[in-house]
Amino acid sequence: MKEFDIISTRAHRIDTPDKATGQAVFTDDITRPGMLYGALLQSPHAHARILSIDTSKAKALAGVKSVITHEQAGHIKYGVSPARYDETVFAIDKVRYIGDEIAAVAAVTLEIALAAVELIEVEYEILPAVFTLEEALKEGAPQLHETSPGNLCAEVHQEFGDVAAALKECDIIKTSTMKNKRQDGAFIEMQGCIAEFDNRGVLTLVSSTQVPHYVQRTVAMVLGMDVGMVRVKKPYVGAGFGIKAAANPMELACCILARETRKPVKMNFTRKQVFMYARARHQFSHTITTGAKKDGTLMAIKHECWLDGGAYTSFGIATVYYTGSLLGGPYKIANMSYDGYRVYNNKPTCGAQRGHGAVIARALFEQQVDMIAEEIGMDPMELRIKNMMDTGDTTCNDLNMSSFGMSECIEAVRKGSDWDKKKGNMPTGKGIGMACGFFVSGAGYPIYRSDTYHGTVIVKLTEDGGTALVYTASAEIGQGSDTAFAMIAAEALGIPLDHVRLASGDTDMGVDLGAYSSRQTLMTGHATKDAADHAKAQVLEVLAEQLSVPLKELDIKNGFITFAGDTPDFSALRTRYIKEHRGWIDNPDSEHLTFKEASRIAFLEKGSIVGTGKYKPHNLGGKFKGAAVGTSPAYGCSAQVAEVTVDMETGQVTIDSITDAHDCGKAINLTSVEGQMEGSVSMGIGEAMHEEVIFNDKGQVLNADLAEYKIVTSMDMPRIKAIVVESDEPNGPYGAKEVGEGAIMPTIPAILNAVYNAAGVRINELPLTPERVYFAIQDYKDRMAK
Amino acid sequence: MLLPMFEFHEPLSIEEALELKKKLGQNARILAGGTDLLVHLKKKLVKTDNLISLSRIKALSLITEQKDSIFIGACATMAQISRSPVIAKKFTALKSGCDNLGNHLIRNRATIGGNACNASPAGDTLPALLIYDSVALLESYGKKREIPIADFFTGPGKSCIQPDEILTGFRLPIPTDHSGAHYIQLGKRKSSEINVVNVASFLEYDPGTKKVITTRIALGSVAATPIRAARAEAALLGQAPEEASFFAAAEMARREDCRPIDDFRGTAGYRQAMVGVLTKRTLATAYERAKGA
Amino acid sequence: MKKIISLTINDQSHEIAVEPNITLADMLRYELALTGTKKGCDTGDCGACTVIMDGDVVNSCLVLAIQANGSVIETIEGLSTDEGLSPLQEAFVEKGAIQCGFCSPGIIMSAKNLLDKNPNPTEDQIREGVSGNLCRCTGYQKIFEAIESQRS
Ligand SMILES: Cc1cc2nc3c(=O)[nH]c(=O)nc-3n(C[C@H](O)[C@H](O)[C@H](O)COP(=O)(O)OP(=O)(O)OC[C@H]3O[C@@H](n4cnc5c(N)ncnc54)[C@H](O)[C@@H]3O)c2cc1C
Ligand code: FES
Ligand code: FES
Repeated sequence: MKEFDIISTRAHRIDTPDKATGQAVFTDDITRPGMLYGALLQSPHAHARILSIDTSKAKALAGVKSVITHEQAGHIKYGVSPARYDETVFAIDKVRYIGDEIAAVAAVTLEIALAAVELIEVEYEILPAVFTLEEALKEGAPQLHETSPGNLCAEVHQEFGDVAAALKECDIIKTSTMKNKRQDGAFIEMQGCIAEFDNRGVLTLVSSTQVPHYVQRTVAMVLGMDVGMVRVKKPYVGAGFGIKAAANPMELACCILARETRKPVKMNFTRKQVFMYARARHQFSHTITTGAKKDGTLMAIKHECWLDGGAYTSFGIATVYYTGSLLGGPYKIANMSYDGYRVYNNKPTCGAQRGHGAVIARALFEQQVDMIAEEIGMDPMELRIKNMMDTGDTTCNDLNMSSFGMSECIEAVRKGSDWDKKKGNMPTGKGIGMACGFFVSGAGYPIYRSDTYHGTVIVKLTEDGGTALVYTASAEIGQGSDTAFAMIAAEALGIPLDHVRLASGDTDMGVDLGAYSSRQTLMTGHATKDAADHAKAQVLEVLAEQLSVPLKELDIKNGFITFAGDTPDFSALRTRYIKEHRGWIDNPDSEHLTFKEASRIAFLEKGSIVGTGKYKPHNLGGKFKGAAVGTSPAYGCSAQVAEVTVDMETGQVTIDSITDAHDCGKAINLTSVEGQMEGSVSMGIGEAMHEEVIFNDKGQVLNADLAEYKIVTSMDMPRIKAIVVESDEPNGPYGAKEVGEGAIMPTIPAILNAVYNAAGVRINELPLTPERVYFAIQDYKDRMAK
Repeated sequence: MLLPMFEFHEPLSIEEALELKKKLGQNARILAGGTDLLVHLKKKLVKTDNLISLSRIKALSLITEQKDSIFIGACATMAQISRSPVIAKKFTALKSGCDNLGNHLIRNRATIGGNACNASPAGDTLPALLIYDSVALLESYGKKREIPIADFFTGPGKSCIQPDEILTGFRLPIPTDHSGAHYIQLGKRKSSEINVVNVASFLEYDPGTKKVITTRIALGSVAATPIRAARAEAALLGQAPEEASFFAAAEMARREDCRPIDDFRGTAGYRQAMVGVLTKRTLATAYERAKGA
Repeated sequence: MKKIISLTINDQSHEIAVEPNITLADMLRYELALTGTKKGCDTGDCGACTVIMDGDVVNSCLVLAIQANGSVIETIEGLSTDEGLSPLQEAFVEKGAIQCGFCSPGIIMSAKNLLDKNPNPTEDQIREGVSGNLCRCTGYQKIFEAIESQRS
């Protein structure tokens, strides 16, 4: 494999010194002169007709600058996928969940804005509401959207191969069900934004978003503006995990308030509003049948899933497809059928969250793999390796594994966890379990149908030649993408990382679809490399001409020009450079020509050296309906081993350790890769153990805070052994692919398999609260007694 | 989130505080660590025009040792109580309650008086206060009362404190030799947790007869207030301190003493079952400690 | 009605008029532009607002500014020195203990306070010492490593 200077090191991140000192600026840290404060009026009812809205008292309150409803905001529909735009900024005739936006106020202080919201009078006619799948699907149930009879938001029916025939040939058939609970993103920075118009009518929206590009398009569309007149900037963002991957109504309301008042307007969600807005992981109810031969060959999957979607579509169409398509791997299975349904109801809307659509399907399926292994007396790792896809294989639903280090991952966790010694030798109450998973390395297609580039990048060399500036519209939201792109640019240019500066997260810098579907490293990374190569080529072209050396003999390494043949006499160039550099005392005196000299000369010859780069995936996937979802230029994969202790009397589960191996292609930054693995595992543990959004019978979130919505604390987190398995991904820049989401896939089933190993119980509903585990153990004891 | 507007008072002595309380009565709330009250004010669960902060009254945050009892000021924080050598030595169950409340940040502010006055059935220090037979010291302008802790709580979020009264602290008799105690709380995660069930047990035995001569068992999160498990205590009294009798007492506590309800944190059935497990386990550890004492 | 309070913040004394209902977190952020202290919940649940008050870490969203009258406050802005990042901050950078960075100021303040009081914390003490600081990104592992590297 190629030797790298910067790629695959543990370079320090470029953003973290500012984050360590409190200097890094997040949205709410920004204040603008004359700034107003906005607040939202949200529905207190889960389902109601709006009979009238009276804003006169609110408008009359001193300090109030604007009160807006659908009358000012307009009736343009928006959402995530254009085919399913079903939201308006403000409710027009009906509210569909507690939290549905009705109006907004801008005032000189937040206190006044909140007081004005209280003064808006809305007359409602309460409508019967539905909160569960069952209620929503019942004959004669209240309907949320006229266009979706039966409250069915979407359904998918797919079959690859012949499942019925394959199942007939199976010796072992396992059918089981699994249900999770709605999750919340629980990023620590709540959504916030500041909108401002300048006097030429240009709108700048600063927002805590992971997709500046999509927000820009949505804002322009809803406000009826040219995309070029809308600039969306993302300062540092306190993570998103998928929830901040679309324009939210607060961003739109904020822009409209800014338009109405001609003043900067700031708005923030409270933590409770974060829960009301939701857009996090759906609740999935799966039934899966898996068939295998008695030699352990996996033959067929029959999969049905119902998604509790909430009031609007959001990412739902993509979700319901992902749920099915990502069971296609990582095993060689020729026959798979999927029936997926997403159902509307009067709860907040679910969307995409880390491991989009696929996490619970994986959690169920990987348990069935273990059940089959147990029944035929085969080691679960052996069974998995036996069925594992190889590099170059394509799933029955046309997903191509262009690199695939899954078997290596299994071997790594086998060794790393001491599996062979422990498996089968744990005392009662202690257990060990494993699972595998894989995930896309960037969605193969944009959310709106388009031939657009998924990322464009500009690399500009400063006129003195010393520094490369990288401009990208991609979104650093904590994952380390800025650093990854700076490293890629440095590697491609052949200069030290310190000589690269990077600015990102601004739609003025180009097109980038943003931080979702684990796409940036591969896609923006490609575009960055492309732009850096382009800039480098321009420098070397000038140099070749000036030194009369064939272009192909020139290269740049560690900030110096290298010559494949003899080093030519470059003293004339050096003299010219030094003349240009009068007054400075750091004149070059090395025996090698520096990049700085070369690029200064290039500037003198050609003006600004600007490299441009772009990326879009090649045509991917099959021809069937929905084939686009799940396609990706590459797939990351991982295997994990969990060790647990179950208190057999109380049902408390302690996770003692997690061993995690992930194939991320070539790791751009090893520390960042481990960071994604560890973070994914902690989110998986949270969902497995104690996270759930709980509603009362009125559709109100009962635990809308971080006290009662329980993410993992420092006391709960086991030590993780993170093992980076590197493969060489042909479709990735320098061989790199994803790690941000794939690493969550095995966590939940590994824990569930370990709990089974410890306590003998299979639990088909999350989270594994002590109570749920306790009752499962009691039930098991009762069954054993009989 | 904004706090509503209020007037802020910062008395420097108990007398001054009592005067304010007398004057403002219902219209004022006492602010101790604020970890409950400020949250409730922000969430608009309570309203008040006046806050009377006790933090500048030094006498209220003292922990002092007398001959056969200790005094813990109402404003002593969890962190402070936990650091106290006498508490670490003689009141292990209380220390454990303090160590398990919230997290390292909350414990620097949260006070024992606030925990008691907030009167959550799940309060982390409350079972320990019950098993150590604490006495709540209440004062109003010109008047003092002492209330046995068992009579202090009157319902969820309710205590017997009158609008003009302030809790100044607790008096806890120092446990005798051959006694020990233990506290266990059970929740879904290991920090910042609101208990699903919490139990404390105290036990004293006669080394001569090898019989239990005093026992107090307190259950949290299984009734409208933290409660004493009277039937379990009766079952254990006079028995040999051993697994069988702990189990029998635990069964009493589970079947007879607790009255849990279902809520979104857990079902009554689970809570009841856990009362049994935790009672048994706290008694066993209490006895281990008693033997070492 | 506003009241003038005086307090020391990062070794600098301040006199400032505050409304009684403003929290220490909001005063630091919005009155003094010390925006390194973050807010992730405003109800004591996340620890992003952690500052050191008279030697102890507290949730500054649950302290009234007026209660800090006469206090000595240390915030993240006070940690770096003339030479740049403090060794603890360096360790967070070096170990990769920071991802989105929204929890980081709070966690670093907790870690500093822990190490000030106990220069040699055990793993359990480290876990305990940041137990009120939620981090959704890192899984805490690298945070532990960063703090462990600062044991004396
Ligand atoms: C993140 C978080 C986690 C928590 N975790 C736990 C936990 O694990 N276990 C637990 O038990 N609690 C927990 N709590 C709740 C809270 O911290 C405790 O109840 C704490 O002991 C309250 O004390 P305080 O001093 O902060 O009370 P404050 O909030 O100041 O007061 C609470 C109530 O008591 C009244 N009061 C206070 N002192 C007196 C007095 N001396 N005389 C008369 N009235 C008085 C006040 O008026 C108010 O009504 C948690 C809170 C938070 C924010
Ligand atoms: S903002 Fe203070 S604890 Fe979350
Ligand atoms: S780094 Fe994002 S919350 Fe900790």
